[in-house]
Amino acid sequence: MKILSLSGFVPEQICDTIRFTGYSAGTSISHYCGYASDYISQVLNDASFDGAVFPKSCDSSRIIKSYLGQTDKFVYQLPVPARRDEIAVNYFAGEIRAYKEAVEEHYGVDIANINIKDRIEALNKRNEEIRALYENLEEKSYSEYLRGIHKMLATPLNEQSIPHPGKTNTGGKRVYLVGSFLTSEGILDTLESSGLNVVGDNLTESGRLASITPCKTDGDIYKNISESILSARLSPTQNNFGDILERDLKEIKEKKVKGVIFLTQKYCEPYDYLYSV
Amino acid sequence: MAQSAIKLQSSLMREYYKYFSKYAKGKSPEKKVAWVTAFTPVEILEALGILYYYPESYAAVIAASEREQPLLEKSEQCFLCRDCCSYSCCIEGSLELDDGPRGTLPMPDILIATNNQCNTLPNWWNILAERYGVPLIVIDYPGEAIPRERAYEYVSTQHRDLVARLEELSGNKLDENVLAHYIENSQESVCWWKKIAEALPNKEIKPTALFDDISYLITARCNPNTAELYKAVSEEVNALPDADKSLIPLFWLGYPLWYHPERYLSECLDGFRICGSNYITWWSLDYSGRDVYEKLFSAYNYTFLNLSQKTRTERLTKLIRDSGAVCAVTLHNKSCKCDFVSAKDIGIPQAELEIDMIDRSFLSLEKAKKQIDLLKETVCTR
Repeated sequence: MKILSLSGFVPEQICDTIRFTGYSAGTSISHYCGYASDYISQVLNDASFDGAVFPKSCDSSRIIKSYLGQTDKFVYQLPVPARRDEIAVNYFAGEIRAYKEAVEEHYGVDIANINIKDRIEALNKRNEEIRALYENLEEKSYSEYLRGIHKMLATPLNEQSIPHPGKTNTGGKRVYLVGSFLTSEGILDTLESSGLNVVGDNLTESGRLASITPCKTDGDIYKNISESILSARLSPTQNNFGDILERDLKEIKEKKVKGVIFLTQKYCEPYDYLYSV
Repeated sequence: MAQSAIKLQSSLMREYYKYFSKYAKGKSPEKKVAWVTAFTPVEILEALGILYYYPESYAAVIAASEREQPLLEKSEQCFLCRDCCSYSCCIEGSLELDDGPRGTLPMPDILIATNNQCNTLPNWWNILAERYGVPLIVIDYPGEAIPRERAYEYVSTQHRDLVARLEELSGNKLDENVLAHYIENSQESVCWWKKIAEALPNKEIKPTALFDDISYLITARCNPNTAELYKAVSEEVNALPDADKSLIPLFWLGYPLWYHPERYLSECLDGFRICGSNYITWWSLDYSGRDVYEKLFSAYNYTFLNLSQKTRTERLTKLIRDSGAVCAVTLHNKSCKCDFVSAKDIGIPQAELEIDMIDRSFLSLEKAKKQIDLLKETVCTR
């Protein structure tokens, strides 16, 4: 089983997935997010993957399945709630269970609760270490940190290693990054060579990953996973820009940030709308 | 009969635009006001005595009045990327400049967005929520992504939650019998509208009339006058001469071009007749179910753009077959990323045009003409 996943909403607690971090020679679709079209290309063209899991969270991800119709690989669209209240937690819990059952059925495997609990514990530990790194970001090389995370997420859980970024020039101008998954790693070099010190971000694979509350292992594990994933600081696809602004601005003030760099993919409407406020 | 249709249209328009700033003369509505997206279960709002308005539809009116360009420019100056949905860019510009052919919409007390047509509208509603500082409710419709039973539980819980929040806002208590009555009105409107739309393949109907007349099904579907209007229009349509079958039957796949006087590229379609359109079927909602909550679920969870690719292909294929179309103009709409993929496997030759339904500057007419000429050649030499 080797499944390519697109989003932080995909529950790593269920089974290993390889996080999509970029792919060249992408399919070109007019007015369509390049990140999603590169993902479609990799699913269709990279024979080393036998499955794909992606959310229904934005307009581009919503129609990925339409473009993957011709593949006989495991293709699963995870319905991510567009809200974060109790109704959403219960709903998402049910959808996580359905995802687990679909993986079991397609691959002919049995994913036992005890295995899920083991993964929950391992993920809690990993996320705690990421959180510790994130909290001391200003002392670390941000490019090494983020590249390390990308490498980590593209590896099965039991082979993952936490990044060990070197020190950075703490005298650099303190900046904060806003955006989705940062596939263009060259931007990181540009930031550092410009003398900027990234002290915080809300990127999917960094600030949001670090903000996830530990997942409980007792009681209904699907509800626990749902609560944990939905506890992360919000994506603009979750429809609470006010919450995002409040949380980002609080961190920006606390970290005495001098400037914000807003990264948007072409045709990524959730971030385009967020940018306007 | 024609006068009756005109009277009904005037009455519906007067009612809808009464509180727009050009006509309200500073007077505010006595009822609470919601801004809603096009596939919101407005029967609930109607039953609770809440007024509701559709910014998307107003963007279409602005473009039809040839006033969209300065508004699009203004929204871009206010940092809203022009790649975003032009409905939103146009209205944001209108709100910034306090400008529009009928003034601006009455101020909202609440914003309600649904994701059963796209995920962009809830994003747009977020920036409206920031602008007005009023509550935002997003209703999440999973569509066909999950089995009906699970979807029903999720959606009906949200509908009940919506009722509770709107009861609190309006101070009114929902009477389910009243709600059932408004749902019946919507069903009646849909029923008569279908009769009109079904006449398109066989009667000499201008698509312009259908693209414009569907607005009542969008903005006033549970108003009894809408069904009355469509009944009158249906009688008019039946009295029209038969379609000229010597012309090439063409399916218009995508939005009307709101800025265009005819709402479609009439100047490029010599020798063709439009015999079908998917847009005019989008609000033919299916309110089937045992009670009000199941009816609302059926109608709003299974909107066309919320269906799987497989179902959309099946529906489109049937629509096209029933229309008798032998080719299609398919619109790659800059503002609607979810729509054009619907046409992936429809099995007839297509001219795929890059357009925007609001922003006239987005179209290369010369290129479109060439593509349509090529389509004609393909059809004629088959």
